[in-house]
Amino acid sequence: MSSRGTPSRFLASVLRNGLGRYVPQLKRISIVFSKNAQSSLGVRDFIEEGVVDYAKKNPGTVVYVSPQTCRIPKVVAEYLNGNVREEFVTSKTAPQISELLTKLANQSGQEIMRLRKPFHTDNPSIQGQWHPFTNRPPAIGPIRPQKQDSV
Amino acid sequence: MVFLTLPCWIRSRGPDRYWKVQEVLKHARHFRGRKNRCYTLAVKAVRRAFVYATQARRLKKRSMRTLWISRIAAASREHGMKYPALMHNLTKTSVQLNRHVISDLAITEPRSFLSLAKLAQARRQEGFNAALGDGKEPPGVFSRIVLLQ
Repeated sequence: MSSRGTPSRFLASVLRNGLGRYVPQLKRISIVFSKNAQSSLGVRDFIEEGVVDYAKKNPGTVVYVSPQTCRIPKVVAEYLNGNVREEFVTSKTAPQISELLTKLANQSGQEIMRLRKPFHTDNPSIQGQWHPFTNRPPAIGPIRPQKQDSV
Repeated sequence: MVFLTLPCWIRSRGPDRYWKVQEVLKHARHFRGRKNRCYTLAVKAVRRAFVYATQARRLKKRSMRTLWISRIAAASREHGMKYPALMHNLTKTSVQLNRHVISDLAITEPRSFLSLAKLAQARRQEGFNAALGDGKEPPGVFSRIVLLQ
């Protein structure tokens, strides 16, 4: 995993989320599972007991529950900035799935990749960034109005 | 008559050679020449790249520190001091700023860096007076060690 070979991004918040109001970035959660398969047992338990509470706790997120004939149950999370994240939940227990869903709800939708710097400022310099003339005294004095010699 | 030797000649190979090859080639896509396309060349190049990446994690700390030191040296020379004098006198005045922070101050906060340079210069003068003077002058302001309770 070289740094040039893998993608990286700078730390940023989505549209200064949290500065004024905090908007949860999770737009939609679709739980795809099967009604009769062994691997979706935990998902079915979660849907029986925990999904309504989860939906009530996150009022800004739409929860879709779609039973289909599928071999692997998965959770598809879509975020406000358009990113889609799929997680496979084969053979997971209901508490594990609820933990996963709370983690997805707390994330911002940005990609999980290497952060170049762990900090970010819009105003890195307060006293003025250094340039080659910062510490040099000016060559000419202050500009004054010219002396009018009366002829 | 049943021909049994012909089916025995058909071998079924592994099903996922393509994905195993792509796993290596995806780390070589930004290389130059045939190393980014041909698997045999790419394997050697990718292994080298990973080795270099591992070694560079140790070296990055060293090179960042030398970069900070050269930046601090250049900034202090603008104010008439040299790097060893600046750092030694800053530690003597118990200013516990590391080289990262001091180099960032020199870039983005030039007036704060000027005040640090002046502080170090004053402490240096007090050290000289204490060493070379007669002892009759009062001890300096910045050389008094303050014990915080």
